[in-house]
Formats: sequence, C-alpha cells, structure tokens
Amino acid sequence: MKRLALTLLAAVALPGIAHAQATDTATADVGVSGTVARLCMLGTPTPAPVDVGQMANTSGARVGRIAVIAPRTVTLPGSFCNFAGSAITVTATALVSNDASAVEPGFAKAVNYTAEVTNWAAGSATVTTAATAGGGSPTASATGPTQPAPKVADLDVTLSNFTAPSDFLLTAGAYSGLVVVKLGPVASGGE
Amino acid sequence: MTRNLKRLAVLSAAAVAIAWSGAAAAQTEGGSDTDTKNFAVVGNVPAMCVGGTIAGTGGTFDMGVLIDLNTGLLRTDLAAPPKVLSGSFCSARSTITVNATPMAAQTFTSTPPTGFSRLVDYTATAAGWTTTPASYATSAGSNPAAVQTRATAFSGDITVSVGNFSTNGGATQRLVADTNYQGNVTVTLAVAS
Repeated sequence: MKRLALTLLAAVALPGIAHAQATDTATADVGVSGTVARLCMLGTPTPAPVDVGQMANTSGARVGRIAVIAPRTVTLPGSFCNFAGSAITVTATALVSNDASAVEPGFAKAVNYTAEVTNWAAGSATVTTAATAGGGSPTASATGPTQPAPKVADLDVTLSNFTAPSDFLLTAGAYSGLVVVKLGPVASGGE
Repeated sequence: MTRNLKRLAVLSAAAVAIAWSGAAAAQTEGGSDTDTKNFAVVGNVPAMCVGGTIAGTGGTFDMGVLIDLNTGLLRTDLAAPPKVLSGSFCSARSTITVNATPMAAQTFTSTPPTGFSRLVDYTATAAGWTTTPASYATSAGSNPAAVQTRATAFSGDITVSVGNFSTNGGATQRLVADTNYQGNVTVTLAVAS
C-alpha cells in the first residue's frame, strides 16, 4: 500500500513537472475498472444430518406402520446471490432401507417426504418424493420461483409429510435419504 | 517525455498486478454463480413381530366327547377345524415356535389306576409362515420341528391345527371319566437374530 501511494503521488506530480519543462503538453488518462463476478453461496446446513429416529408404530391399531413423524427444519444461514434472477432447486431422495434385499408383499422399504425450501423468492421450492414400496424411483426435484434481485437470507429447508408407499408395513432396518439444495441463475438452476 | 511514459507503464503494470491478485483470491475461494449443499436424512424401523388375532368363536378347539362309548377307548376320528391367526407379521427375519401340552383331565388329577390314562396326546401344527410348518407332538421327547425360521419379513395368516390324537400310555389304555380335558397350544413369533 505504501508503494502504491508513492507511485500515485508521482503520477499526479509528473504532468505538472513536464508542463513546466516542455513546450508542448502531454496528457494521459488512466482508467480504473474492475468486475464483480456473479456469485451464489449457500450456508452450511444446520443441523445436519437429520435423524428422524424410529419411524414405525410399535403398538396400537397401526402397529408396524409409519408413525406420525414431526417436521424437521434445517437452516442454510447467510445464503446469497449477488445478482438478479436466481432460483432454488431442491432435490430430495426418499428414505430407503440400506438392506438391498427385495421387499416382501405387504411391506415397504421406503419412506417418502416433502422437502420445502423457503425464504428465497415469493414462493417456496417444494418437492415430494414418490418412491415405490421396493425403494424404486426415490429421487424427485423441483425449482422454485425466481428471485428478481440480489438477496442474502437464511434459507429454511423443512422436511414434513412422511409417508410409506401404500401405507404398507415398514421393513425393519436403517433408512437413509438425501436432500440437495442448489442456488444459481434461473437458466442453470432449473435442471 | 520518455521518462514519463516509462513511469506510466510501470503504473499500469502495478494496476494489472492488483487486478490479478483479486482474481486469484476469488478462484481460491471457489465461488461461482451456482452453489450446492446437501445433507443426509436418516431414520430407522425396529424389528418387531405381532401375533395377530383369532377370528370367530375364539381360541378353543372343542373336541367333544373323546372316547368311543362302546369301548371306552379314545376315538380314532377326533378332528376339529383349524384356527386362523389373522394379522400376524414380523418386520424382519423371524422364527415361529409352536408348543403344546397334552389334554389332561382337570378334575381327576390323581394318578389313574392301571389300564387307565388321564392324558391325551396330539400334534399341534402352525402353517403358513414357513415352508415347513412348525409342529409339536406332545408325546415326543423332543420336537426339533417345533421351531422354524423365516429369512425375510412376512405378513400373513397362520393356520393352527391339531391332530394325530393318541392316548398317553398306549392305545389300549382307557380314559378316566372327566367333564373337562384341557390342553394348550401356544404359537410364538419372534425376531430372529
């Protein structure tokens, strides 16, 4: 910084000296320009991973079938885009049993849910998974409305509406799914 | 003049250098016009078994009169409709176990005289859960077939039946008179380790 300051001072002073010493006049303009790249950043999902715990009823009329699972919210704090025309794409994969064996009749090895990303545009980006009882086609994706201005916000991802395909009995075991949030320009954000 | 231009060139070089360092910083942070974050969602379902219920008139095999009134010996045509356990399921690998106790005279509880018996043996069978039905013979010293394993989760009816009746002590033994001969059949579903 010190060197730069000296150089700039010299640049200001030199034309004056030159003017005093020479008969003709030389003037030079130095343009200063820069660019700001288009940038979107998402905050780190908190809390993550999401563990919804035990998903089946163990007593009562619905024993063995999916229990009422309370909604979960994950926040991506300080997310931003520095340009207009951005959108959220949310891709959700149903909770599927880690046991690869085939599912028995009357049983399901998948749990579907709705993932909703709010606080970006006028409406939310919402997707509901539709895995089959056997765990097939577990992934679904949706893009929310366009945000017309640069924005910084805490994004909330709410997981709710947990259901089993055909409300079948749930096969025992550990289940896992995935939520992917993508923030970018509308053109590339709407895969 | 020449000197001035040279200084200007140096100044421009400095400006370029500043611009480059800015670009380098942006690349190091990895920013772009699109960002993606993901997180896992996990849960679990416990292994459990539910035994189901018996429809209709309840859980008793009513065998009626046990003896041939002409001989006093056990009837050879004893039979009863099977019972169906509905709504049974296990959410994981399981075992089905059937256990039974002989039909015993409930009033005449002392040791019967020679030539008489107060016990009727039979075989209880639980079918529908496993390829080989679980069966238990009350007359047998051991019943290895009483426990059967199913490798997968299952939901379905279990048909429980009784048959193969015989007089404890031998076919020539006569049964002591009693208004109530009673035995018990137990079917157990359990999560297999």
